[in-house]
Amino acid sequence: MSGCPFLGRKLFTSKPSQAEEEDESQKGINKATKGGIVYGEYLQLDKVLNAQVLQSQQKGDKIHDEHLFIVTHQAYELWFKQILWELDSVRDLFIKKHVRDERNMLKVVSRIHRITMIFKLLVEQFAVLETMTALDFFDFREYLSPASGFQSLQFRLLEAKIGVADHLRVPYNRRHYRDNFHGQESETLLSSEQEPTLLQLVEKWLERTPGLENDGFNFWGKLQANIEEGLKMEKHKLEKMEDSEVKEDLLAELNKQTEIFTALFDPKRHEHLLSKGELRLSYKALQGALMINFYREEPRFQVPFQLLTALMEIDTLMTKWRYNHVCMVHRMIGSKAGTGGSSGYHYLRSTVSDRYKVFVDLFNLTKFLVPRSWVPKLNPSIHKLLWSECCFLKYFTLTLSLFQCHYTFRM
Amino acid sequence: MSGCPYFQKKFVSTSKQHLKEDENDDSQTGVNKASKGGRIYGDYLQLDKIVTSQVLQSELKGNKIHDEHLFIVTHQAYELWFKQVLWELDSVREIFISGHVSSLKHEDLLFSIIAFSSIDLRFFVHREYLSPASGFQSLQFRLLENKIGVPHNQRVPYNRRHYRDNFRDQESELLLHSEQEPMLLQLVEQWLERTPGLEEDGFNFWGKLETNIFEGLRREKEQIEQKPASEMKEEMMAELIKQRDIFLSLFDVKRHDHSSRDRRLSYKALQGALMIYFYREEPRFQVPFQLLTSLMDIDTLMTKWRYNHVCMVHRMIGSKDGTGGSSGYQYQYLRSTVSDRYKVFVDLFNLATFLVPREWVPKLDPSEHTFLYMAECCDSSYCSSSDDSD
Repeated sequence: MSGCPFLGRKLFTSKPSQAEEEDESQKGINKATKGGIVYGEYLQLDKVLNAQVLQSQQKGDKIHDEHLFIVTHQAYELWFKQILWELDSVRDLFIKKHVRDERNMLKVVSRIHRITMIFKLLVEQFAVLETMTALDFFDFREYLSPASGFQSLQFRLLEAKIGVADHLRVPYNRRHYRDNFHGQESETLLSSEQEPTLLQLVEKWLERTPGLENDGFNFWGKLQANIEEGLKMEKHKLEKMEDSEVKEDLLAELNKQTEIFTALFDPKRHEHLLSKGELRLSYKALQGALMINFYREEPRFQVPFQLLTALMEIDTLMTKWRYNHVCMVHRMIGSKAGTGGSSGYHYLRSTVSDRYKVFVDLFNLTKFLVPRSWVPKLNPSIHKLLWSECCFLKYFTLTLSLFQCHYTFRM
Repeated sequence: MSGCPYFQKKFVSTSKQHLKEDENDDSQTGVNKASKGGRIYGDYLQLDKIVTSQVLQSELKGNKIHDEHLFIVTHQAYELWFKQVLWELDSVREIFISGHVSSLKHEDLLFSIIAFSSIDLRFFVHREYLSPASGFQSLQFRLLENKIGVPHNQRVPYNRRHYRDNFRDQESELLLHSEQEPMLLQLVEQWLERTPGLEEDGFNFWGKLETNIFEGLRREKEQIEQKPASEMKEEMMAELIKQRDIFLSLFDVKRHDHSSRDRRLSYKALQGALMIYFYREEPRFQVPFQLLTSLMDIDTLMTKWRYNHVCMVHRMIGSKDGTGGSSGYQYQYLRSTVSDRYKVFVDLFNLATFLVPREWVPKLDPSEHTFLYMAECCDSSYCSSSDDSD
């Protein structure tokens, strides 16, 4: 009757047959009856599952949908905790300089990737809360004030630790976000802003990209030379063309390109934009990022390239999360003010902006992509930078023991 | 820089002039209500309980394993959503029990289940610190199965033997209760039996349908018999005979009672379901039809959840002994639960076997058949926003 591939014929007869009882999959004993740590205790479900108290019910007007509202937010906070757990461990690897041993990059990338998978879940989770109508929300909203998402400490910690810049927050946010926290929470928030952020740690790591050394491979110098040569040749080609509108357009395009690259190789200009807050990464870090992009197929740069991709993915998902939040809030409360006192949906909409994109400079690298032939050639026999820093022999003996554990990840 | 439709130029540059503009922007006005009672959000959600309940066994035993945190949080998130699903399920059952079925918001239930079936994360764990904790001890999961209507005698043997042993005292009592109280399946069955139009002395849907179907089959047979002999004619005839057998079984009440293992709904309930299917476009039956669809979605999502679980477990522990003591091939046990035995509303799926051409469906006449647009009761005690009666 069913197309279920796991349905064996013997499971379908009316009497439980002898064969069924003897089926391998039905063997086993029940260990759990003997004692020891059990599921509910392990997960402290007595705490987790007794934390749902409806304000509407307390006030004698129980509204069914308030339970969904509570559970949704608690689920978000649980996952925020998990993200912070992963984020802190990654920051730690950078801070303790463990990333100098490039074997640790695999761990870094898997954990950042894990964070993006959690964010995907958080973006999809809105669909569940959206089954609540604005009318049903209206029935219990009055009992919530002045509780507001503004008081989510974990969300702020998340922003701070990834690297959202204080001076780039929109005014309402910048003015008020700290006031919501007192005592221990306020200190925790302050600490998170003073400790190295993921952005700062990645910046330092990028600055150390092998191949940037002026007295070594000198990637930047070589790249500049190649690009200038390349642009010159293109200009020659175009000038040889017959005069036409197309030629004019192509020349104008080439001029624009030339301007972009002139700006790229101007360190003073970069400093200027950095001080204004329009750029977030240092000049040297930008060079490192471009290097990793151009040579991403070299074994040594493959995983670093995955890291840069995953970091941009985090930014993208966070902004999608913000936007999904906006859409839902608009549906729920229209243009009313938020319970925390902001203008509500209008305020939230203003946070869906590149200001909150921490790794925005990585996105903008696409401006500087060039034809493959302009990229400085690498020669494996000459350029040792292609080999990982740690000794090859040591690497292989250690990976054998790593494979004892069932370590899996998916990209 | 971005293609975001809400992106206004003024937020790109952060030069002083633009900062001034920002300050005057309406979206940035507002006060800060909450700065006076900072902990309110956290108090409301009792975050002090939620966010401090992650204790790594590996850490307690002096060998902290990073990934154990993910394992814990994932299960806690599942249990939170199980609680939400139970909340919705119990409220739906209450509505059926109280008779106010027109207020059913089945979509809530559906989406809660969608939430937990979309969680799909991989992790690595040191299982030695977990023994004997096991998903077998998830009370909420069992409550969920029972309240929807997974019948005890349908559980695969290992499950049937042991699933109660994992719970003691109050939990055990709660579990027993959930087996004895009306399940969603039973409540839906009774509701289906009351479908308007089934009354033999009224519209008599079943009698009319039987007549139409066999008349239709007879005409088809005549048409085929008139064709010249050929292999295709043979095949069409064989197909027709198969069809006829299927419908004979449908209208044979004894046959229905006999195959009670495969059928969960009563004969009358099945008739009600078919009625709703055939007349789903009539205003009165539109939402009931949506309900039947949603109930099947629940079954589908639950079985997909089980299968996702199987795949993950297989990848994680292969053929090692499961922490709950089930067979050396724990994933094989779990695999055996990916089966129609656990599909509560399996009969609704199987109704597709009995679909017929539109012309065979008994005609409805609104002037004569007023049940099409008149709701069952106008109960003055009904109030959409309250869960309790007035």
